[in-house]
Amino acid sequence: MLSWLQHRWTGLWLLMLALGALTLFLYGFFPLKYHSGKFAHMDDLPNFIDGIGIDGQEVYNAGEHSVVLMVIDGLRYDFATEEYMPFLGELLKNKSACIYVSVAEPPTVTMPRIKSPERKKEKAQWRRTINFWRDIFASAMMTGSISTFADVALNFGAPAVRGDSVLRVAASRGRHSVMYGDDTWLRLFPGLWAEHDGTTSFYVTDYTEVDYNVTRHLDRILSPDEDLKPIFDFLVLHYLGLDHIGHLEGARSPKIKPKLIEMDEVVKKLYTAMRQWSRTGVLIVCGDHGMRDAGGHGGASPAEVLVPMVVIKTDDGFRCPHPNGPGPTVGQVDIAPTVAWLLRAPPPGDSAGRVLPALMPADVRQHLYLLHVLASHNAKQGLPTDTEFFKQFQRAEKQFAQYLATGQQSAAKIAKEFYDESLDAMSKYLTETTAEFDLFAINFATVLLYILAAAASCATLYSLQTEIRKPSITHHQPSKVSLLLAFAIMFIIFSIILVISCFITETKSSFCSFGPLWSIAFFAAALVLTIAYFVIKTGVEKVKDMTALKELNAIDYLLIYGTLFHSWSFFGTSFIEEEHMTWYFYWNTLMFFVLIRTVVVIVTYLSKRWSGATETQEKPELEERMSSVGVSILPQWVLLIALHRYLRTMNQTGDRWLFLPDTADWLNAPENSFYLQAHLLIGTLATLGICLWNVRHMNNYMYIHSILTILATICILSYRIASESLETPFSDIKSWDTITIVNLFWAILIIQALYEIIIYAGIFKSCGCDPGTKKFGYSKPKVKSEDYYYEPAEEPWNVDSVKLNLVRSLSHIMLNDLMLIVILLMRPHNVIMVPSVFVTSVMISKCLDHKLLDGRAGKGKEVADLIGQSLVHVWIGMVFFFYQGNSNSLASVDLGSGYVGLREYSPWRVALRMGLHAYAGPALAGAALFCRLALVSDTWQRYIQSVWRVCNIYALHRIYAVAVYCVVAVTFRHHLFVWSVFSPKLLYDFVATVFTVQALATIAQIVLLTNLTRWVASLRF
Amino acid sequence: MFSLNNQLELRKIAISSLITCIYLPSIVTVISYKGLLYSLGNGSTFYVLLLIYIAELLKSFYLNSNVVSKKIKSKMQARDVINSGIFLLGVTFCFFVGMILFGAPMLDSHEETLMISALLTLLTVFPLVAHAGVESAMQLLFGVKHFSRDTIIEMLVNNALLTVCGAWLGAVVIPLDWNTPWQKWPIPCYLGAIGGHLFSNVLTILKISLMSAAEKNPVLNFVVSVLNKFNLSK
Ligand SMILES: [Zn+2]
Ligand SMILES: [Zn+2]
Repeated sequence: MLSWLQHRWTGLWLLMLALGALTLFLYGFFPLKYHSGKFAHMDDLPNFIDGIGIDGQEVYNAGEHSVVLMVIDGLRYDFATEEYMPFLGELLKNKSACIYVSVAEPPTVTMPRIKSPERKKEKAQWRRTINFWRDIFASAMMTGSISTFADVALNFGAPAVRGDSVLRVAASRGRHSVMYGDDTWLRLFPGLWAEHDGTTSFYVTDYTEVDYNVTRHLDRILSPDEDLKPIFDFLVLHYLGLDHIGHLEGARSPKIKPKLIEMDEVVKKLYTAMRQWSRTGVLIVCGDHGMRDAGGHGGASPAEVLVPMVVIKTDDGFRCPHPNGPGPTVGQVDIAPTVAWLLRAPPPGDSAGRVLPALMPADVRQHLYLLHVLASHNAKQGLPTDTEFFKQFQRAEKQFAQYLATGQQSAAKIAKEFYDESLDAMSKYLTETTAEFDLFAINFATVLLYILAAAASCATLYSLQTEIRKPSITHHQPSKVSLLLAFAIMFIIFSIILVISCFITETKSSFCSFGPLWSIAFFAAALVLTIAYFVIKTGVEKVKDMTALKELNAIDYLLIYGTLFHSWSFFGTSFIEEEHMTWYFYWNTLMFFVLIRTVVVIVTYLSKRWSGATETQEKPELEERMSSVGVSILPQWVLLIALHRYLRTMNQTGDRWLFLPDTADWLNAPENSFYLQAHLLIGTLATLGICLWNVRHMNNYMYIHSILTILATICILSYRIASESLETPFSDIKSWDTITIVNLFWAILIIQALYEIIIYAGIFKSCGCDPGTKKFGYSKPKVKSEDYYYEPAEEPWNVDSVKLNLVRSLSHIMLNDLMLIVILLMRPHNVIMVPSVFVTSVMISKCLDHKLLDGRAGKGKEVADLIGQSLVHVWIGMVFFFYQGNSNSLASVDLGSGYVGLREYSPWRVALRMGLHAYAGPALAGAALFCRLALVSDTWQRYIQSVWRVCNIYALHRIYAVAVYCVVAVTFRHHLFVWSVFSPKLLYDFVATVFTVQALATIAQIVLLTNLTRWVASLRF
Repeated sequence: MFSLNNQLELRKIAISSLITCIYLPSIVTVISYKGLLYSLGNGSTFYVLLLIYIAELLKSFYLNSNVVSKKIKSKMQARDVINSGIFLLGVTFCFFVGMILFGAPMLDSHEETLMISALLTLLTVFPLVAHAGVESAMQLLFGVKHFSRDTIIEMLVNNALLTVCGAWLGAVVIPLDWNTPWQKWPIPCYLGAIGGHLFSNVLTILKISLMSAAEKNPVLNFVVSVLNKFNLSK
């Protein structure tokens, strides 16, 4: 179908289809946890066991307990021994305490050992560790269910855990919960603490103060009231010092042992104090994850995944039922139902665990009822009923009912065994379904992405032809019926192939389940295959003229091969964590190449000019080109290299050198606030200057655009003053409402865009106030009779030139608005990135001009110029993405940018702003490129053709990068770093694809808006 | 490819390249043996640069021994030496500033950056200046004047280009997470420059050997003709 290849938005459609394929890949790669959304109540306790009545409220009663949950961050399994913690070891030896092996569920992120030099260690701060990865651990312990990677990522902006938790059920039963430790708990479970004191995990070098802030509360909180009852029901203590020592110096550090002895002293203090209470106390000591010998955690090695869980009960009759040595394996999700049982609260809604064996009641009836509550609770979570463990649960229920009816001990024993088996299998099944890959969906999506990449390649190569031959009339064109028939036949064939592949592989994938919604996805995938097949077929047939690729020079080849090989570099984990180094290397190479070429060209020009006039006559075009650009290009280029060198020091990013101090740290220090404000002012005023410079491309009637731009900048400065980033003598501005300022800012931007369209549509002309501008004035061209033969649909007015003017104006409005919005969202020290992107774009567009470098002209040169410009702007965007401090780790996402000018949490607006802030560099570079396209094109047709080619190149690049990375992710899906290195990069790629679709759609919208406004204007004339 | 008409020049180039392929690996081996590899960037390893300077100077004398007449020898006066020294210092400064602009540490490690700047100057520009003089070297650097079938200058320019490429590519290993001591600036670029220089000289020897063997072997002669056709010798 030739019309698909010729369609100028084919690249955009292919990119949208690739986004769909990537979504299918993400569905297979990132399983989502089943959320029932159910909040537990005591009324949910079953009152009938296989027809036999039982009072659930009365039986489900553990007595009065006070629970202390002591979390020692980074507590490895071998740390809970007599050697490191003597008091704990003594308790374990005389069976006053039980120890279990708890498996920390992946994903836990890599928090690497700090590799900064020795002298910089004390200055290093863990600036970026929001440590939302403690969310997984804390929510697993409190909700009783494992969060997957996708759950945490999707809950990014949302501060709190939405599902049911032990804290909520305890609060609903009137229990008092107290927390001392990491403030992650306060963020996750707000409003559920009777008392709290959260410490920030900001400084990783602090491993004494951060624990003292927890311990200093103990004397007060542990002292009972006059009835010898503790003043809390549930106390959470989270100690971070051990984890911090591990990050700084490793598990073999000499500071580990004193820290563990300090923790042992805390356990002793807790145990001694609990023995004074009149109420039974339960102390659970555990870690959230382990620790590598080298320090840090995040993988799946046993040292990182196995943690101890010690249970201490101050009941005099308490004896650990297990033999000495390593106890049984339990899950972190077992804490939630255990604490809920002890606090006489129902298990949380999504809980998938069970009560720890040491804390099960001794009474047989109570014991069996508790097992039944947990098993029936798990069974309600969407388990298949045709499985062995479900049948086992039903058999156990029958045995329990028989025990209730007859009182047979043998039936009780059998029921207990059956319940235990089914509970283990149920928990295992629920956790496994949470963390299972859908391999069929993954592989099919990868194949689909590669086919779409091939289709995008054909579309791009077709658009890069210099001479697109129009189909002659004599050539036989297939009829539309036969084309539709061929399409239908191929669609049926691809559907049959997909169905056969589903049955051959016998996959359990939901993609092949043929449910109502999945059938739509299934046949949509077949449709995508058919479309891609026809695009490839037509492209292979029609792509003939490739003379444009012969015009590429060394810099173009550097750009093309750099972009191609960059995607393949991700087969090394270092190149994912340090992707910015790859881009900095490529960028430096490009700047070095351009510097050498510029030096050679200028020296040649100067020497020929000085040596004599005869030699300058050999290359007269060279003098013409140089006079247009100027000898000043060389110092400007050197200054640009210096600017990039400075911007590179602004934010340390990546993995190895993230913790080194950078310029942003220096600027954000309190004593350097003057320089920070100077940065902010320079960046903002430079952007204002650029915006006012861009206003000359717009219809600046009565300087409306200039005034609106200045007003928007004043709003930004007022917002900065009101949010106390900028100091000013006008103290009354500080009291202004930031939300109002930001809303006014948005209104100004909207007015600016609408004003331009109204001008073009000719509203002012009909009202009688003639703008008197040449940009949007209509005039009737001279009629040429010979034009009518091959231009039957010629416009009666000079519409094309007016459309080109409007497109230039709207493109520059988009660029100006984008720059202003990004300035508003940016951190103060990063504001100078925005004018730097524009300056880099303008300079490199000048220096990459093929006419300057090569001297010859032609249509092939134009195509080669477009390839170079497109790719170099992709590079600019990526380089500035990393200059800003982004990385391929979720820890570098700036959550604060999502809440600029927002009062309440709105998921879509927060996500949009966070995304726009993160991808400000690529967005600005793309906008600058499209503005340049509008500038250099002298006719509407040439502009449309340029946009067509650039959109195809951008779409091809994005689809290619995603397709290669999907192969990387599939190859390394069982790698140690799958959740800490590969998965975040996949999410970043998904967001980048979404933003590329958004960017190209914005350009399409501008073109559509131009045509629509032209149609409205034509109604008036 | 070099022209076959000047056997004397070819033999000089071959011997010069062989000397380079002997002394540079020897220096690197001795440094590695003594455990000084990780201190290559410090000022204490200045004698390495001195050794390279002396070797390149001797090579330059050897390359100029028969070709240059007495008149040109008398022109190598103190004024020319001073001009060469100033020019070399300027080139070192340009390397220093360029490296900082392209990513070397800005606030510290100036000593290390100066060391690799000096090394690059010694390996790239110093042989050109010692062989052809300051003016010709400047013209060759900026591509104003093409080396018109001067095989020695062609070899020196190739050496310079590949040395800079080696130093540039040495920076690739710095961000990898191998945690080796020799990933510290400027050791990978230092060794990369030496590696690039060696590679260029090895290529020169290979080309000369291929050309010598091609006279006796018709198959190799065909290969040389094909390479000439594809202009891969450049
Ligand atoms: Zn932790
Ligand atoms: Zn940690």
